[in-house]
Amino acid sequence: MDNIYTPYLMNISDVTDEAPGVRTFRLNFQNEDEGKNFKFQAGQFALYSAFGYGESTFCIASSPTRKDYVECTFRQAGRVTNALSELNAGDTIGFRGPYGNVFPIEEWEGKNLVFVAGGIALPPLRSVIWNCLDLRDKYKNITIVYGAKTVADLVYKNELKEWTARDDVNLVTTVDPGGETPDWTGKVGFVPTVVEETAPDSKDTIAIVCGPPIMIKFTLPVLEKLGFKQDKVYTTLENRMKCGLGKCGRCNIGCTYICKEGPVFTAEEISKMPDEF
Amino acid sequence: MIEALRKKAEELLKNKTVDVVYGYGEGSVPERTRPVFITKPEDVNKLTWNKYCVYNLTTYLKKQESRKLGKPAIVVKGCDAKTITVLIKESQIKREDIYIIGVTCTGIGDPPATKCKACDVNTPLIYDELIGEKIGNKEFSFEERYAELDEYEKLSEQEKWDFWQKQFEKCIKCYACSSICPLCFCDRCIVDKNQPQWIDPSAHPRGNLSWNVTRAYHLAGRCINCEECQRVCPADIPLNLLNKKLAKETEKNFKYRSGYNVDDELAMATYKEDDNQDFIK
Amino acid sequence: MEKTLKKEKLNSLITGLKDKGYKTIAPKKDNNLITLCEIQEADEIHFDHVQTNNSIKEYFLPKTEKILSYTIEKTKVSIEEPEGFAVKSVVFGSRPCDAASLPIMDKVFNWDCTDKFWIERREAITIVTIACDKCDSYCFCTSVCLAPDAKQGSDVLLTKISDDEYLVETETEKGEGLIKELETVFSEPPSGTPDRQVATVEKKFEIDKVKPWLDENFVHKIWAEFSTKCIGCGACTFVCPTCHCFDIVDECTMSKGDRVKNWDGCQFKMFTLHTSGHNPRSTQDQRWRQRIMHKFKYYVEKFDNILCVGCGRCSRVCPADMNISEMLEIISTDEGQPEPVSKE
Ligand SMILES: Cc1cc2nc3c(=O)[nH]c(=O)nc-3n(C[C@H](O)[C@H](O)[C@H](O)COP(=O)(O)OP(=O)(O)OC[C@H]3O[C@@H](n4cnc5c(N)ncnc54)[C@H](O)[C@@H]3O)c2cc1C
Ligand code: SF4
Ligand code: SF4
Ligand code: SF4
Ligand code: SF4
Ligand code: SF4
Ligand code: FES
Repeated sequence: MDNIYTPYLMNISDVTDEAPGVRTFRLNFQNEDEGKNFKFQAGQFALYSAFGYGESTFCIASSPTRKDYVECTFRQAGRVTNALSELNAGDTIGFRGPYGNVFPIEEWEGKNLVFVAGGIALPPLRSVIWNCLDLRDKYKNITIVYGAKTVADLVYKNELKEWTARDDVNLVTTVDPGGETPDWTGKVGFVPTVVEETAPDSKDTIAIVCGPPIMIKFTLPVLEKLGFKQDKVYTTLENRMKCGLGKCGRCNIGCTYICKEGPVFTAEEISKMPDEF
Repeated sequence: MIEALRKKAEELLKNKTVDVVYGYGEGSVPERTRPVFITKPEDVNKLTWNKYCVYNLTTYLKKQESRKLGKPAIVVKGCDAKTITVLIKESQIKREDIYIIGVTCTGIGDPPATKCKACDVNTPLIYDELIGEKIGNKEFSFEERYAELDEYEKLSEQEKWDFWQKQFEKCIKCYACSSICPLCFCDRCIVDKNQPQWIDPSAHPRGNLSWNVTRAYHLAGRCINCEECQRVCPADIPLNLLNKKLAKETEKNFKYRSGYNVDDELAMATYKEDDNQDFIK
Repeated sequence: MEKTLKKEKLNSLITGLKDKGYKTIAPKKDNNLITLCEIQEADEIHFDHVQTNNSIKEYFLPKTEKILSYTIEKTKVSIEEPEGFAVKSVVFGSRPCDAASLPIMDKVFNWDCTDKFWIERREAITIVTIACDKCDSYCFCTSVCLAPDAKQGSDVLLTKISDDEYLVETETEKGEGLIKELETVFSEPPSGTPDRQVATVEKKFEIDKVKPWLDENFVHKIWAEFSTKCIGCGACTFVCPTCHCFDIVDECTMSKGDRVKNWDGCQFKMFTLHTSGHNPRSTQDQRWRQRIMHKFKYYVEKFDNILCVGCGRCSRVCPADMNISEMLEIISTDEGQPEPVSKE
């Protein structure tokens, strides 16, 4: 019988420093067959292991349309993430996944998309953004509002440049007041305020929001004011996870196991959950 | 005694000296009591006192859920009261922030707890109000105080090691021993620290040994021998033997007994230029 | 299949099991505890108790177990799968409530994907239960749709029919296989109706009333009122046969490491603590609510079973005398309310 806790072995093929304490790994399967058979969809997550230290949960930050590799972006926060950041290109890490549900991007076809991300929460959106950009014809207007504390904290700086250059994407970047540099050309202000200013049309539009709880809390009412219905607003939830498989019992909010029935939820689904976030 | 206790509690709540009384109430079965938290004068009849009042209620001084109820009056036996002395010394509480209802006690538990055999605090050493007839506290010799170690100390080094190996093997790492201990008050216990991982989290022989030894060491010179950790251990590990042994060594080396006098200097947290041990210099 | 087992035949039974290659796990007295543990001889078995202190769960979900081993060599890692964890065994003399916990937990360990550590042990271990002929005031199996002679989860059920004789009933093919393997130990079933000595366990609450109350009362002051005394140790969850939460950690020395699964539980404050310091269940009343909700609502909705077999262990062991059946009594009867039920 297969051991559901056994990770794939992956090579770190590329390391990118995104921001202070934030790093992206590009990972390749050591076993080519495993790589060929591996499929995932935007929104899913995995457990990454630093052997000797343990496992940590990150979303898969690359797009399913980019085959052959997966990427993850993580912030150094504790035991495992510190150990991971000691690793270099060529080292081995473990990868268990993909787990969880997905963004229903097929249902979104023919609609406008508004992505709202704060801080380190761009990675989960990056997968779905690239996924939609790689299938650009299927969607109408694409707007991305992305904010971080300071300019240095913005992740994926090269991709931000690329999106700015594209005329089929409307990228609005912002930093918290005080976080700007003299040459900063983006906005200064908190994400919810900037969303309100940007005022994306809610008609025929799907909003996807990821960020720290406080940002989500203040962004949802803004979207509602702009006319977004709760079932048209998507977000992801993070809870402490260990197994990712519905076994270890720690990730539930009420009856919902975030690792299996999430991490992607609509604002409507979340509003029905008991208040235990 | 119960009447006097209830009357005092009612008075304290009525004139708002305190917001809550931590006391003993009727338990789920006749052979048990349970901690109760009385906030209304009309509820004081829930308070009781009998030989099943084993709990050291001072442990609720470290819990946010009970502290939320406001300024406490706390019912303590002589042994429990020693905890308060330590908590004051270790800057965990201020004397004026709690009201101590001491009860005189001639022994609890059925069969009687080990600690009661050589109890020298039948009347608490610290209290604001004493319930029950004051009893002259007995005095015991050093040997009498640690008599329960006699059998154990006869064992050879190897036998001692084997004994503890066998005992610790049973540990299930529920941490009830530290959760119940009023002097285990660290917000993040060393077992929860993983950088580095001081103690293996697994309940295997190595992890259990390091946990049990570390817990005991962190209580060395501080433990007041309430025996609560041993009472609650679901694996029936004689933790008290370990605590008692450390207490004995502390007394022998530092002439210090924990919880007896607020003016005593703490055995483990006092720095002296003229310390008679040279490692400290 | 029905047979009888005479007490004098116990020796032959235990030796028989050994000869057939089974490890035997049975209740044994160890100081103040009655522990389900490996035994070699029939006379080690303890009979005269209500309940063992440890539950049957540790033979399926051990307190700590290796789920992976690995060797690190420079940049390369090689993985070894643990083997030999599922040992052909018989649990002899566990109680019906413990046995009943097993099929309930099969559901979560089979949910969408199979945890082989649980399932392979389930296949390797045969359960021979002894129906309870006595109980204590903590037992409440009859309140959670079970009974002191419930058959769920047992491969063989033994019921005392006289001081020195048990009625043997097989409940599964595995049980039947076991009895056939050791045929000579058993006698023919008694003629006539045997006098089954089974305890009478008082019904403490109406289970049908529990879930509807929980559906409505996620926010209720009783959670905090009832749990102020709870010290948040994990004892109740660790002794519970149906609690199955675990942690996964790595333990490594230089180049060799193990990934281990350890018991964990929702009563610990660290259980849900995010790395950011945020904790969705930051107070003990939330954690106590999770325990009750999970057992009597969430699990019921997900898997159509109550996640409690009424063994009473959690209440017996609780250092603060938190009593789960008392909580359930309170919420299932309006009269039982210490104060009128009001949301606050
Ligand atoms: C679905 C999902 C997706 C995620 N995606 C990403 C992502 O893409 N990128 C990303 O960076 N993160 C992501 N996270 C968060 C990430 O999982 C955690 O930051 C990470 O697991 C931290 O692990 P660690 O091992 O380094 O910390 P550890 O040291 O292992 O922390 C273990 C536990 O110890 C405790 N702890 C540790 N340090 C402290 C402390 N200082 N204070 C209090 N308690 C502490 C906490 O209980 C913590 O849960 C995601 C989480 C989820 C659930
Ligand atoms: S109470 Fe007992 S079983 Fe639990 S951690 Fe302490 S020593 Fe181990
Ligand atoms: S270590 Fe045990 S005996 Fe000592 S104070 Fe703590 S609970 Fe009491
Ligand atoms: S209910 Fe009892 S056993 Fe469970 S955590 Fe609370 S105090 Fe510990
Ligand atoms: S919750 Fe308590 S009574 Fe129910 S199965 Fe678990 S230990 Fe037994
Ligand atoms: S009650 Fe708590 S420890 Fe037990 S299974 Fe449910 S969540 Fe896990
Ligand atoms: S992470 Fe283990 S159950 Fe969800």
